[in-house]
Amino acid sequence: MLGSFAATILPIVVSSESAVVDVPVAQATDAFGWAALILWLPALSTVLCGLCAVMKVKSKLPGWITVGLLGTSFLLTLALFFSYEYENPVIIHALQWLNISWNGEGETVQFIANFALYVDSLTLLWMLFVTGLGTLIALYATEYMEVDVGKGYTRFFAGISVFLFAMSALVLGDNLVMLYLGWEGVGFASYWLIGYYYKKPSAVAAAKKAFIVNRIGDFGLALGIYFIWHNFGTVEYRVLFEALNAGGYSTETAGWSVRAIPYLLMLGAFGKSAQLPLYVWLPDAMEGPTPVSALIHAATMVTAGVYLIARMYPVMLLDEYALPIVAWIGGLTALLAATIGMAQYDIKRIFAYSTISQLGYMFLGLGVLTSFGAAYHVFTHAFFKAVLFLTAGAVMHGFAGQLDLRKVSGLRHMPGWRIVSWTMFYGCLCLAGFPLITNGFYSKDEIIAQAFITPGFGFVALGVIGLITALFTAYYAFRVWFRVCAGPVHFEPGDDHHNGEHGGGEFHPHAPRLVINLVLVVITIGAIASIFLGDWVLRGVGDSTAVYPSPHAEGDGFWANPHRWMPWVASAAGIGGILLAWYFHLANRSAAERMKNALLANGLTRWLPTAMENKWYVDELYHATVRAPLWILGHFLNLFDRYVVDMFLVDGIAKLPRALARTFQPLQNGILQSYAVSMAGGLALVAVLVVLMPQFVEWVRSVMGGAG
Amino acid sequence: MMLAAIENLGSITLSHYIFTSALLFVIGLIGFVTRRNMIVMFLCTELMFQGAAIAMIAFGRFHLNASGQVFVIFILTVAAAEAALALALVVLLYRRRETLSAEVWSELKE
Amino acid sequence: MASSIFYLACVLGIATAALYLLVRPGARALKLGATVVGLGALGWLVQQFVGMLGGDDPSDRPGVIFFIFSLIAVASAVRMITHSRPIYSALYFVMVVLSSAGLFLLLEAEFMAFALIIVYAGAILITYLFVLMLAQQAPGEDGTVQSPEYDRIPREPAAGVAVGFVMLALLSEMIFSGVSTELTEPPVAAAEVAAWRELEQMPGQLRRELIRVDPDLEESFPADQTPAKFSRIDEQGGIFTVGPLGSSGQTYEVSLPHSAMPQNIQRVGWALVHQYPASLELAGVILLMAMFGAVVLAQRQIELSDDEKLEAARAHQSARDAANGGDA
Repeated sequence: MLGSFAATILPIVVSSESAVVDVPVAQATDAFGWAALILWLPALSTVLCGLCAVMKVKSKLPGWITVGLLGTSFLLTLALFFSYEYENPVIIHALQWLNISWNGEGETVQFIANFALYVDSLTLLWMLFVTGLGTLIALYATEYMEVDVGKGYTRFFAGISVFLFAMSALVLGDNLVMLYLGWEGVGFASYWLIGYYYKKPSAVAAAKKAFIVNRIGDFGLALGIYFIWHNFGTVEYRVLFEALNAGGYSTETAGWSVRAIPYLLMLGAFGKSAQLPLYVWLPDAMEGPTPVSALIHAATMVTAGVYLIARMYPVMLLDEYALPIVAWIGGLTALLAATIGMAQYDIKRIFAYSTISQLGYMFLGLGVLTSFGAAYHVFTHAFFKAVLFLTAGAVMHGFAGQLDLRKVSGLRHMPGWRIVSWTMFYGCLCLAGFPLITNGFYSKDEIIAQAFITPGFGFVALGVIGLITALFTAYYAFRVWFRVCAGPVHFEPGDDHHNGEHGGGEFHPHAPRLVINLVLVVITIGAIASIFLGDWVLRGVGDSTAVYPSPHAEGDGFWANPHRWMPWVASAAGIGGILLAWYFHLANRSAAERMKNALLANGLTRWLPTAMENKWYVDELYHATVRAPLWILGHFLNLFDRYVVDMFLVDGIAKLPRALARTFQPLQNGILQSYAVSMAGGLALVAVLVVLMPQFVEWVRSVMGGAG
Repeated sequence: MMLAAIENLGSITLSHYIFTSALLFVIGLIGFVTRRNMIVMFLCTELMFQGAAIAMIAFGRFHLNASGQVFVIFILTVAAAEAALALALVVLLYRRRETLSAEVWSELKE
Repeated sequence: MASSIFYLACVLGIATAALYLLVRPGARALKLGATVVGLGALGWLVQQFVGMLGGDDPSDRPGVIFFIFSLIAVASAVRMITHSRPIYSALYFVMVVLSSAGLFLLLEAEFMAFALIIVYAGAILITYLFVLMLAQQAPGEDGTVQSPEYDRIPREPAAGVAVGFVMLALLSEMIFSGVSTELTEPPVAAAEVAAWRELEQMPGQLRRELIRVDPDLEESFPADQTPAKFSRIDEQGGIFTVGPLGSSGQTYEVSLPHSAMPQNIQRVGWALVHQYPASLELAGVILLMAMFGAVVLAQRQIELSDDEKLEAARAHQSARDAANGGDA
């Protein structure tokens, strides 16, 4: 019964086996000129925040400006959504940007990249949750950031506005250059906002780490864009997809520079979306303020990689191994991040690893040819992860920066924390994939089931990994909730608490007020609503460039069709994880410690908890393999610079005239005759050169001639 | 004219005169470098002028025009002016240090 | 060519070595020997020139007068820079001036020869002598004048002589490697043409010469009349047409003798005012300024500070000590 329910709500795309799909290609239109405002309003917001900074505004004005403009942007997105007709993607021209032509080999080469919007259902799906969640999280931040009102507050909202502008450019752009602009823009905004607490060394280090690790991915993306331009002569989606529709490119005939494109784009996507091996920046990015973590590092920016792959789906098919690699990277990342998340104590970090894990699911979905599943999971994940982060932020806000789940307990029994507790509960349910009433259940099942269906490259193993990860996910999600929200009331304030600040040294948690609670409720409602949007997403993806027919399950029996048995198995995994968490972290909290101690006591198993708590030593591995050689190289170059360049070249050259001067200093004795003899000697020398040089040259020539 | 008529000019070439003038010039140079008496040093410069003057006259004669002689007039002018000024300076310097040695004046080396 | 350089280098080397010995303080015998060696080298040089340039015909041998004058000049110059007493140096310089005036005469520059003697030997050198007397050391107790140390010990003899050797070698190389430098004997065609051309540019002189040849012209060719027209009708000689003159409109043809050509002094004067007027003015300004400068400098009273007096005394004392030390 459960299976049939899932089957009705999630109809499977049935289509032919043909590998070549006609991608719907947008046509230019003049109709929606106002839609460009979606892009410009965040930019305007940035400018106004900058003005506020200049005028030293000491109120919440920048926050409200940002919320207002982003809200308008969201409303415009909604308006665009309602006026948009399916199966009819459009390009909206905003302004001419790059239009360069030069004479190539025998023909005029043109490079066109306009500021134009490519609107199809995929764009709209993304833009809806980007602007919607962006507005809500900015609203949340007006209260969350209130302790920083003044310079920091302005800076924060300027950063949020820059981010929204860049993200809109990334998603809406009608060409890869605009996508790259947005891509770098969100990277920059991310750097800006992770380093918000720039007086904290760890925040600065995290910001740098995010920026540098992303740079590796961005390099791949830039090179990929170049190869696309090199091979297809365009960076515009419309022309590119038309060229691909026209055919002529198959995995057999394509040259290496064509086959390299998917891998390069993949590298970019893995960097931005925190996948193996470039995921290490995301957990550290939690140093930023929590709204930033929620908006950028959970809901929107990190899905840019998924968007890139989904948008470039036809391009990804240029090499037959590209998507399987995406699937395997996604699956392994999901498992790895989940195991790390199980052993962490910092709530935000747990959620960060869960984000990595869920992003892994999305890539798994893309890789096993269910772009719908991936897009749907992006959509649902954006909501529930935003809820989770915002509740974590509320806890952090209320307990003076306390994020250790061992030090806060029984939150739901405290006055004023009810909404936080229960919205977090629902978020955890979604993350765990609790059956029927959560959106995560449907989107995750779609992906895992498709892994069992799509043939080849060990996808079945990936499905099993996905199921195991689902179990782990449920465990660590509820580990947080049972620890923090349930159980006896107990709390310790965090590092931000200083005696005297809250009066008399006694710490009182301050519960979130209206705005935070409102935002939590609204996003939770959004999460619930997204359960019923599966159809819409499916249709949307089908009309976009991400369309690809997922292979259909053969056979009709219960076990023959993974879509039938998957809800049961996944539910079992989710509920099993929840029960485990309940046993170890609510019913019998000491059992968890005992088990850990038992594992540590046994020499054979000691490595497991240690390695999990230390994040499988990946950071250390990178440190040893990448950072240490670079560090050594850097020091070597430093020494080279100091001793060879500075000491030998610079100082040495500087010393040369000194030494010369020392040599000739005796000539400078102030005695007239010495100067006279020097002058006359110099004159004689020059005269010797002038007179004897021709003869000397002739002599040399004759000798050489004789030798030759 | 009279002397020139006695002399067999045909076999004395310009080179002879130039060589003489070069000899005088170089001797003047050596004198300037080696002597330490300021007045003798100036005398040596006059000797160098003398060498130059012979070269001028010889060239003028070689090219059959009067420019060489005119230049010697200018040389005489400059030599006279130099002698006037330089000797006035020497007198001043001598009054300061009571010596004609050029070596006591070496403060500018610092 | 290379051999000539070699010879020259050898001879000049010997000569300069001798010069070095002369310049360097040393025993009288050594100086005498150096003089002999230097004269020998110069003599050999002369003999070489005679052999190189003269050929076998004795009539082609270069004239002795040139050699006499140049030898006197060079020898006096050497003595001038080697003599330890400045007065004698100045007098030897007079010798150089006189012998070079002789060379000027040989070069048919009579005016310059006498100007040189008058200006140099007569004026400049006298100034030098005055200054030397002004700056003369007082005689010692025994009445003999002891040359100061700075007049007896040369400064950079080796370096100076070496540089002089190199310069002279180069100059000789250039002098003897040039084109034919034979001095043309006047009057030859080119000199004549130049002389006539110059005469043409001097109307008063020309008129005088014309009248001297043909006294009849004086009446029909008054000095205050409009400038007469004359033109030389031949390229080489001194044949002039004069006219048309007066009311008759007659033209005359006059052939001037060689004696009518401008003399050396006329030519120099003409060149001075006609070719180099600006330089002449400048020379005047230079002389004027030099006069002013000399007056201003010489009348300045020296206010010696105590330090300077001390310094002067010390320099004086050290010079005296060195002189005594040199004797001992």
